[in-house]
This record gives sequence, C-alpha cells and structure tokens, in this order.
Amino acid sequence: MLSTLRTLCLKGIDGKEVSAEVYIASGLPSYTVVGLPDAAVKEAKDRVVAAVRNSGYDFPSRRITVNLAPAEIRKAGTHFDLPIALGVIAATGRLGEQPPARLKETFFIGELALDGRLRPVAGVLPMLLALKDRGAAAVVPEGNAAEAAVSGVDCLAAASLKEAAAWVRGEGELRPCAPAPASQGATAVYPDFSEVKGQAFAKRAMEIAAAGSHNIILVGPPGAGKSMLARRFGALLPPMTPDESLETTKLYSVSGLARAGALLTNRPFRDPHHTISDAALIGGGSSPRPGEVSLAHNGVLFLDEFPEFSRQAIEALREPLEACTVTVARVRESVCYPARFLLVAAMNPCPCGYLGHQARECACTPVQVQRYRAKVSGPILDRIDLQVQLSAVKYSDWAGLPSGESSEEIAARVLAARRLQRARFGREKANAFMAGAELRRHCALPPGASAVLETAMNRLGFSARSLDKILRISRTIADLEGSRDIRKEDIVEAVQYRMLDKAAVPAAAI
Amino acid sequence: MGTSDAEERLARVRLNFFACHRGDWLLNLLAVYGGAAELLRRPARELAAEAGFSLETAERLRAQAAEADPEAELRAAEKAGVAVYTALDEGYPELLKQIYDPPLVLYSRGGLRPLPAAAIVGTRKATAYGLRTAARLARELAQAGAAVVSGLARGIDTAAHRAAVEAGGVTWAALGTGLNCVYPEENAKLAEAIVEGGGALVSEFPLDKGPLPANFPRRNRIISGLSLATVVVEGGFESGALITARFATEQGREVLAVPGPVDSPVSRGPNFYIKNGAYPAENAEDILARFPPDRVFGLKTGRGKGAQSPAEAALRELSPDALEAFTAIAAREQGLNADEVTAALGWQVQRAAAALFELEVASLLLSRNGRYCRAV
Repeated sequence: MLSTLRTLCLKGIDGKEVSAEVYIASGLPSYTVVGLPDAAVKEAKDRVVAAVRNSGYDFPSRRITVNLAPAEIRKAGTHFDLPIALGVIAATGRLGEQPPARLKETFFIGELALDGRLRPVAGVLPMLLALKDRGAAAVVPEGNAAEAAVSGVDCLAAASLKEAAAWVRGEGELRPCAPAPASQGATAVYPDFSEVKGQAFAKRAMEIAAAGSHNIILVGPPGAGKSMLARRFGALLPPMTPDESLETTKLYSVSGLARAGALLTNRPFRDPHHTISDAALIGGGSSPRPGEVSLAHNGVLFLDEFPEFSRQAIEALREPLEACTVTVARVRESVCYPARFLLVAAMNPCPCGYLGHQARECACTPVQVQRYRAKVSGPILDRIDLQVQLSAVKYSDWAGLPSGESSEEIAARVLAARRLQRARFGREKANAFMAGAELRRHCALPPGASAVLETAMNRLGFSARSLDKILRISRTIADLEGSRDIRKEDIVEAVQYRMLDKAAVPAAAI
Repeated sequence: MGTSDAEERLARVRLNFFACHRGDWLLNLLAVYGGAAELLRRPARELAAEAGFSLETAERLRAQAAEADPEAELRAAEKAGVAVYTALDEGYPELLKQIYDPPLVLYSRGGLRPLPAAAIVGTRKATAYGLRTAARLARELAQAGAAVVSGLARGIDTAAHRAAVEAGGVTWAALGTGLNCVYPEENAKLAEAIVEGGGALVSEFPLDKGPLPANFPRRNRIISGLSLATVVVEGGFESGALITARFATEQGREVLAVPGPVDSPVSRGPNFYIKNGAYPAENAEDILARFPPDRVFGLKTGRGKGAQSPAEAALRELSPDALEAFTAIAAREQGLNADEVTAALGWQVQRAAAALFELEVASLLLSRNGRYCRAV
C-alpha cells in the first residue's frame, strides 16, 4: 500500500528532484502531507480527492500519508497534485500489482481541476532543466507543453489525470511536447527611436548607456519625453544570447508569466509604478517570488518619478545594482534570483517639475528642490553613470524637427562598441562594470585628455567621486568612435552627462 | 550707581540676546536709562510702564537676559575669531551708528575697514540678466576700491559677493543668522572666501542663532546702513531687496536701481524705483557718482572705460566653434539648452558638447537647470 513517484520543485530559479511517497494504511480516515509543504500543497487534498473520483477511480477512506522528500526543501506550488493523485491511485493497486516502469521513471508535474483535467503551472521550464542531462522523461499539463519543449527534456503532455493514468498503465499514448511556432515572442516590442524628435543629447546619452551598459537617469519637466525615450531603449541593446534568453525565461516561468511558452528573445522592459512595495520591486513574499528587478533581468528596468519611490525601495536597489543578484532570506530558506538589469530612472528637476522651464514658472523653494533631489542622492546615484537633462520641446520647434535615426542604426553602433569591449575584457563584460585597477588600466589618459579632465574638475567643481564615472563614460564614447585611446573630446562630451553633479556646485561664473 | 564701560559692554551683549529680535522701543529704554546695565537693574514693572508694553514682555526680557551668559559668548567669539562691537567700542562702523536703530551689538568676522561701500541687493530668484549685472557691478566697484555689501543669500547676493571676491576686492556680508551658522549652507565656502579676501561677515545676532524667517528682513537695515548707496538689481514687489531699498531711503542713503525689461516680474521692483526717482545704475560709475563727494576720495573712479574686461579677453581666445555657440546663446535672453544649441547650429552632439565645455570653463556661460545663458 505504498507508492513512490518522482516529481520536481523549485528552489529559487532552479529545479530540484522530489520524490512523492503515498502510504495508505488502515485506520481512521485521514490525509496528511509532510515534508515542508506550504498552504497550496496542503490544499492539494481537496482537489486530489475530487479529481481522483471524477476520473473513475476510488479515493480510499483510510489513513493516507503523503511525504515529499527531501524534507528540508520548502515545497510550494500546485504542481504536486498530479503526482499525489497518481500515487494514491497506484497505492490502491489500480495501476497493477507491481508499479509499472512508466510510473517509477517518469517525473510528473501538474495541477488538477476538480473534474480531473490538468491545469498549467508556473515554473515548468526551470524545474525541467534540472533533468536536462539525466535523460529522464516528464509528463506535464498540456498548457505547459510549449514551455516544456524549450527545456530540451523529453516531455509528454497530458490533458487529464485519466489520460495520464491510462498512459502509466500502458493503455494509451501521450503527445510529445512541441515548441511553439517561432514567431511567438520574437516580434518587436520596442517602438522605434526615429519617432523621438529633438532631444539630441538625451538620445546620444542613451546610445552611450546601451553601448557601455551604463545606468542612466533622465531629468526633465513633464512632457519632455523621458518615458518615450525609456520605452525605446531596449531596442538599442544587442540581442540576447541563448543563455541570457534562457535565464530570463526561467525567471518569467517561475513567476507564472511564461505561458506563451516560447523562449523570450526580446530584452524585457519593466516599468513598475512608484507606489510599488520594496518586496514587489526586489522580490520576496512568504514563499519567495522574483521581483521586478529580476523580471528585468538582462533587460531594462524603468523607474519613472524616481524620487517618489519609497526610501526602502530605493535603498533596496543597492544590492541588485552592485551584485546583479537578489537574495531573499526567509526563516526556512534563502533563495537567490539573478537581477542584472540596466536601470533607466527618470525624475522631474523639482517637485513641481518646471524648474528651468522656458514658459512656466517653478513654484518650488530651493529647499524643496534640495530635499527632492536628496531622495536619490548617495549610494544609488553613485551607481548611475549617466545623468542627462531634458527640456520640454516647444511645439513650433517640434514640428520642424527632422526624424531621428532609427533604432537599428544606433543598435549597429552599440553592437560594434560591445564587440570592442568583449575583445578588451576577454569575455562578455561592459565598461560600466570596470572598477579599480581595471579602470586605471583601460582608461589611461593621453596627456592632452588628462589636462581637460583636470580643468573640468577644477572649474566645474566635479568631485573625485564623479571622476571614475566620467572615465567610464569616456571609455564607452571612445569605443563608439572605435578609438583605442580615450581622447580629449571624449572627456569633454562625458562631462555633459553629469548634470546633477554640476548642479550641486554654484556656477563658477557668477 | 556708576557703571564701568566693561560692565556696560557686557550688559549690552546680555541684553542683545533679547533685543536682537525686538523693535526700537528698546533703544528708547536705553536712552531713558542711559545704558543697558542700568536698564537691567530696573524691575520689570517699571520697564513695562516706561516702555508701554505688557508686564509679561518685561518679565520675559528680564528672564531671557538673566539666562544669557555674555562672558561665555565673548569667549566663544574670541575663539571663533569674531570681534564684538557695541556702540561704545571703537571699530563700530560710523555709518551704522547714524541709522535710526543701530544694532546694540555687532559681531564681525574679518576686518571692517572704514571703506566707502555700496550695497548690491536683489532677489533669490534672479534671471541670468540680473546675475551677470550684479556680478559686473560688484566687480567694477571692487576694482574701484569700494566695498560691496550684500546679504549672502542665494541669487543676486551670491553673485555680487562672488564677483567682488574674485576681483580681489572687499565685500561685507550682513547675515540674518549668528556668525556660527552661515545660511544658506551652500554659501559656507563663499563666506570663508569673503573673510580670506579681506572682507567681513557681520551680524547683530548671537553667534549660535539659527535661521529664523523674521530675522532676515531686520538684517537688511544693516546692509543699507553700512552702505552709502544701495543698488536694487532685481526683485518683485514682495522681495527683500525692496525692504533694503526702503531702509536706505529711511536712513537717508542713496538708492539706485538697475533698469530691466518691463515684462520681467523681477524687474518690477527696480523699474518702480526708477519711476519714483531712483537713479538708474548701468555701471559702477553711476553708483560712485551718487556717493557724497568727500567719500569718493581715494577711489579709482573714471577707470574701466578703456580697460579691457576679463570677459573680453576670454572671448578673444575662444575657438571659432565656441565663439559661434556663444554668439548664438548670447543673442537670446532666455538662453539655450544643450539640445537647442545643437539644433540652432545644426551641429552634432559631440561638437556642441566641446563648444559648451570650452565656454563653461572660460566662465563665459552660466548653466542653470539645463539652460545656458551668457555670464558676461
């Protein structure tokens, strides 16, 4: 009266093998799940009872114990329904005296409806990837078939418990999982850059940000086009490598957002609202889930109205910005989600938004402006290399402006610059991640250029803190120009992209 | 009851802890009793009756004065390098003594040489026009050898002080706070530069007095009081600059105003003054011409017409690109932002960036909130 099945669970974004043991003993009718199950797993009972009965099998009124091993991993999710139901059926002997080989060797995943149909679940792809090099097969709900096919693991899709049970008994066949048609998910999601008129400096800064993977903050009044630029930014980045694509898809799968089934080939773009909680931004919850920063992994995280985000949320960005991962620690477990994103932040120049506006008067006092800007100062601003000022474009100017370059043209230059960086570092690494000795080695300045840098520091009041950033930006500008050395003009241009630093000092001229 | 000068001096410092916030009735009381020491000996009831205010106020005065520790204040002042003058002391500025309600005590950091001085005042929300005019007037005055007086506030005040310091001249800043709490904070460096350049920070408030809104208008009478003439550069009708101008009028000093565009809200104050008879100030000559004849002796007047300003020299050394960009920016009163410079000249971003950088380090441009305006 004992049966053992194999299934999987998630730890972070990695799959782990789990064995589901079902034991039916005589005694007062009861149903117990042990092995660190969460609430959804405990609830499986009612679905399993209904599904088993509605599939033409008996659910025994006896003492049933379900054990999910290894017991030290926390089990979350609804995909244990199928293995538990099959385990109950097997333990009652309805699948044959001896458990068939199909039952012992296959991994089962799926949530049950009360009528016995199988429903798709989250996290199929990362779970299956744990089986990749084992040659094992798995049965998944039909709704997850396309996603399962991406894993490259031998998978079969079942529509219902009845179908799965029949297949185990050898009385039917299941359909192998086929990948979704390639067109899905590969369509362009980013609008084109040529639609942005004017804003020459901001567009150039975005090109630099994409080329060197620099984080960027756009400062400008409402209507200047900050969001418009940010929404188009992803199109400038080089295409995702297969590894990047798989990693990002895994994160979406864990969050239950990968139902379309195809591998994500476009870099993600996430723009959470500023009222978001720090847990939703960074990742968390009682059973941890990836946050927005992880959903933006290998893509773009756009934080509009940056100073309006809660202090905790802004502070919490420090870890992913520095380590490119997020660790969510809970009492029973701690999980790690990758979060390597390019931050595009946007803010108004002052609380009312019209400081420096040509036509409208700003209603803020200097203290209010200071306080507003102080919200983003310090450690976070330190991780943002590019600071760009945008101005509102007047309609009369706007109408007369020519369309800009297309995303494709800019992306070609970005790609060339990325190639130079790969050659320099010997691996996929962007200039934004240069630090310490590396920075000194790759950003050595010819004498003319270092004199310019000194002038900038002395006359425009840049601090030593900004120095590294100016160097990194200059390096990327030189890469875009295909120059081996950083030239004078690269530094001169880089200085333009540190407007918040400059605003902090009184203009030298007055 | 004889009172020594030293005692009287201490009593004034003591009384000033309270008096610095109060109006002129205290001066009346001082006159009645012939000194602060005597005043402090009187019972509260008598003070109240004599000055015509409530008993509570009189009692509060006594309590606050009793709490004050003038000896400690003087020790702290000495430690901070601050000189403390009462009207009894030599070094208390003569011009300031002549005003209706001179400060009971004047704290001063840096030298207060008896130089002929002009005040340059204006709004904190200045335009580029106001800033560069304030800076030019201050520079010319400094070069002529006159002291430039202002209030160390943001905007016009800062521009005037800074230009005077940079021209190697003497400038005095009258603060609305104690000398230990320079406000606004971002001007702390400028304050140091003023002292190092031979100028001075002055205040009537005890050393550790923080910024209180009510105290700033009061200190304006010191700005005008130290000066032979007050120049209003920019300011709306509610601006503190107009308060200073009104003080100057009451004190019988000259008031000048910098004419501005008639549609500029911050030029309404100066234009109003000009309409009502104030002299328009275009350059330092105009200001020096309003000084009493006996006070211009020793000043280098009449200079500057033929001499080349530092800005002209800087312009001559510019690259053709930078000169072109400067011409384009200077032609627009509102200035241009970086994008508009590229659009106006049809340049690439890199080229515009290079020109802007050159102009900015040459101090020819003023960059404020993303807009570039001519600084000279």
